[in-house]
Amino acid sequence: MKFGKLEIFWLGLIGITLLNTFVGENFSSTVLVSVLIALTVMYKGLVVIDHFMELKGGHKNLRFLMRAYLILFPSLIVVSAFF
Amino acid sequence: MRQIDKDDVNWIVRLDGKLMSITTQQKSLGIFPRSWSEDKAGRIPGNIPIWVGILSELTEFGIFFVAYFIAKYHYPEAFSEGPKYLHTSIGVTNTLVLLSSSYFMAKAMANIRVDNFKRCERYLWLAVACGATYLILKTYEFYWNDLENIHTNTSTFFTVYYYMTFNHFLHVGWAACAVVYVIFRLRSGAYSSKEHSGLEALAVYWHMIDLMWILIFPLLYVLR
Repeated sequence: MKFGKLEIFWLGLIGITLLNTFVGENFSSTVLVSVLIALTVMYKGLVVIDHFMELKGGHKNLRFLMRAYLILFPSLIVVSAFF
Repeated sequence: MRQIDKDDVNWIVRLDGKLMSITTQQKSLGIFPRSWSEDKAGRIPGNIPIWVGILSELTEFGIFFVAYFIAKYHYPEAFSEGPKYLHTSIGVTNTLVLLSSSYFMAKAMANIRVDNFKRCERYLWLAVACGATYLILKTYEFYWNDLENIHTNTSTFFTVYYYMTFNHFLHVGWAACAVVYVIFRLRSGAYSSKEHSGLEALAVYWHMIDLMWILIFPLLYVLR
């Protein structure tokens, strides 16, 4: 298997998922933990949009909509940590 | 008077004995602003109809996410306790399986672009295998929940959990069937490096399903 950009993103996404799970299992959901999880979820989403869906360099309006969605909902995780 | 662009076709027709010029649009559906055209905004992966579908699905899941946060606001204890009763290791495994399926789909697209049909098909089968693995694990998770006496009405958290996960389960199911369909289309010679928009449309739909799970997983399994 040739090791290229797709493989790096794939392994990175798997690593982030395992980190999130470890944090979730071992720490209560404080504001700090919620921010960390929200940011990593955002990053995972943006990687999939840009490199798997190939919207980086693609249709800018579709990319904007997808990115806005993946920024909005993880942001609500942070907001929900305050109530 | 609208501007004429390069997608338009000029027809010279005879009406009432007079020669008239009629301009018609050839490619554009005419339902989006011109700023959305591929010429102005960039290439659309797949095709426009699949993006109408994807944006509809995103709206549907968006409503689920809003419902999740509203319910969490009103029942914080249920949402704090609920995830502790779930089979987290199945949730994690399913996340890794779906991420891998997205990777295999991206590899399939990379191979069709160089006319490597065999490798493209192999990666598509791997994506199907991931989809099937997800469905089997999820079915077992629902069965395990039942054994643990967890049902849709156990708490508000589990009502939201079943709404979200079962809906997502259905999406994975029919999209996996669609991948099998495109494999047979690929075998029949429907796709090549020059024309593979149908395969690409399915690929972006598959990635959308993966994206939804990326959001669902932390909400239901990680945050306490």
